[in-house]
Amino acid sequence: MPYRDAPVTGSDEDAVLHKRLASARVGIIGLGGLGSNVAWMLVRAEIGTLVLVDFDTVDPSNLNRQFYFADQVGRLKTEACMENLLRIDPNADLVVTNTRVTENNLAEIFANVDLIIEAVDTAQDKAMILSVAGEALPGVPLISASGLAGYGSANDIVTRRLTDDVWMVGDLVSDTSDHPLFASRVTVAAAHQAHMAVRILLGLTEP
Amino acid sequence: MHVRLALFATLTPYLPEPSEADESTTHERTIDLPDGATVGQVISSLGLPDEPRVVFVNGRHADDDGILADGDRLAIFPPVAGG
Repeated sequence: MPYRDAPVTGSDEDAVLHKRLASARVGIIGLGGLGSNVAWMLVRAEIGTLVLVDFDTVDPSNLNRQFYFADQVGRLKTEACMENLLRIDPNADLVVTNTRVTENNLAEIFANVDLIIEAVDTAQDKAMILSVAGEALPGVPLISASGLAGYGSANDIVTRRLTDDVWMVGDLVSDTSDHPLFASRVTVAAAHQAHMAVRILLGLTEP
Repeated sequence: MHVRLALFATLTPYLPEPSEADESTTHERTIDLPDGATVGQVISSLGLPDEPRVVFVNGRHADDDGILADGDRLAIFPPVAGG
């Protein structure tokens, strides 16, 4: 991004905030409706390094809400996402891994990150990540999401702090099994996750 | 012994009746358990559905065989699909 290396013209505080974000390393598990949108928000926030993991390919049904384009259908989400993020900021530092995150590889993939964003699809995987991350990477903030489907009020999507290290975004109940997905509501949840990440990296822990 | 129980989201209907010490409007209750009770025993006694859930004891992840102690805070969260 042109202004990444430009002198910060605001106050000293701006320079400190910028430096904190630019030195941070954030992991994103899943590059679907949440993760692909969180990723571009964090690139625009000039986070230092993003560690991006997904196992899937871009499907036509993803294009109604995920950060991909029609000519990317069939491609690995990791590669397509990286390509799109580099169009925003050619200097973005991105580490991509094409795999499914499991209880066996989570700690290794996300060793040395400052913060993890859970952005996977199934309830089983969410529960696994919440459990394993807390055990394997204690003290690393985890921002999860639950309940973002449907056309219920966008105002029902909030960020809660569940424990010292776990924040939860969503309305907690709107399941994809009986609700359609809309870019507007999914992206509200993604923005909550990305913004909580920025706040935590700046030392603010309350939602 | 007494344990503070919190059930989130779709699990709140499984909360026991509030005791005198509880505020019935919250998602937390104080429950009385025998010494040595495990997380799994509490889950069974509450009749929670067999769906994905995350268990925290005092803010740290705990397994079903985790043994509870007096004053612990047990929180159970059921994630739902969508990402």
